Amino acid sequence: MHCRLGGNEQADKECGAQNEQAAKKARKELAPLIFDHEELLARVENDRELLRDLLAIFKEDFPRQLLALREAVDAKDGNRVATAAHTLRGMLSNLAASQAAATAARLEQMGRKNETLGFQEAFGVFENDANKLLPQLDACMAEVCK
Amino acid sequence: MKILIADDEALSRRLLQSTLERAGYEVIAVENGRQAADQICTADGPRLALLDWVMPELDGPGVCREVRKRKEQSYVYMALITSKEAKEDVIAGLESGADDYLTKPFDPEELKARLRTGLRILGLENRLVEAREEMRFKASHDALTTLWNRAVILELLERELSRSHRENATTVIILCDIDHFKDVNDTFGHLIGDELLRETSKRLLASVRSYDFVGRYGGEEFLIVLNNCDPAFAVARAEEIRNTIAQRPVQTSTGPVPVTMSLGLLLSHQWGTRSVEELLREADIALYAAKEAGRNCVKLASPTPALGVPDSRIKEPARQR
Repeated sequence: MHCRLGGNEQADKECGAQNEQAAKKARKELAPLIFDHEELLARVENDRELLRDLLAIFKEDFPRQLLALREAVDAKDGNRVATAAHTLRGMLSNLAASQAAATAARLEQMGRKNETLGFQEAFGVFENDANKLLPQLDACMAEVCK
Repeated sequence: MKILIADDEALSRRLLQSTLERAGYEVIAVENGRQAADQICTADGPRLALLDWVMPELDGPGVCREVRKRKEQSYVYMALITSKEAKEDVIAGLESGADDYLTKPFDPEELKARLRTGLRILGLENRLVEAREEMRFKASHDALTTLWNRAVILELLERELSRSHRENATTVIILCDIDHFKDVNDTFGHLIGDELLRETSKRLLASVRSYDFVGRYGGEEFLIVLNNCDPAFAVARAEEIRNTIAQRPVQTSTGPVPVTMSLGLLLSHQWGTRSVEELLREADIALYAAKEAGRNCVKLASPTPALGVPDSRIKEPARQR
């Protein structure tokens, strides 16, 4: 990002904001956020009722999908791992939960390639990400239900 | 505008549905590919579809292939939505018949913009179909009267004659001509002559059943084909048609103009397997007989001319109709 030198105050402010945005983007690319509240609000076009519905659907579906993934991992079934991880990846990316979506994507790839040896470890990482995510989603739900 | 969304994952489906409803679409949401293909292929099915790639029963590309194979009427604009993003996935998706490809998670504004592209393409297709239908109509109908044109009415007659031979039924041929039409043109001018032709055509159409055919055979000459008509009622039907024309003058822009028609009637079952040309020649002879008999009447073509009656088939006189 290039900013011109010697500009007026307004231009400096704009330049500062641009730099801040760029830095935020770079941080996000380097280490995906557990949950990006702003991005999710943009995705639902600030519709809080819709956001509440999506979180409710997630709360209901996630345990079932997680169980399906766990069973597929335990069974070392590449196809089922890929399918369950693909579904979870879709749900999580829709909720702007980039970190857990990325680990689900990794599991999906491993499932497609039938890399059974890495299943348990990757699933552990995913569960860890999910454990960090769930309280944040609960907090978000509490906020939208206010 | 109706749009179909197919996604087996409830959260994605809900998000898509809300985004699209907010944008003014009428959304039909289904949760597998089989339901999607069946919905799209119904007669009044949606012409825009957003399909998840990975779905049970039939995946997104499978839906595209099936719709392209089954649906031949209106074009359906289909976009695949998925988290697959490898180049080979994009190629496979587009080659299955999809028009566009969006990756999850989608940006609402981008989604709406892509759909506007789809709507533009559908709008273009609608205009092309309308233009084609207009050309098709012009190619088969008479421009002045909008009745079937000569080529088409002859094809329809040939088809009906073949059918009546097969089914041992009767096709009734009525060749009719407006009486003294030349005088109308000479007295009131050709524009009034055209008005008379248009009104006469309307009356002819109104006097037959929806499955009969009426065509403009020549200048002021019309050919009517009554399908599967009971021969016992053929003369009465022709009389009704004659009466429908003659019962009141045509209201033209210069005032009322009286109109009558002479009709030559032919019942196909009386003529064996004669060609269309031969039958029309006989119907024309009957029409001429009606003119000779004082006009505004019906004459039946007979395969055996009555004794003492001059056989007009021998000569083809120039006649003032």
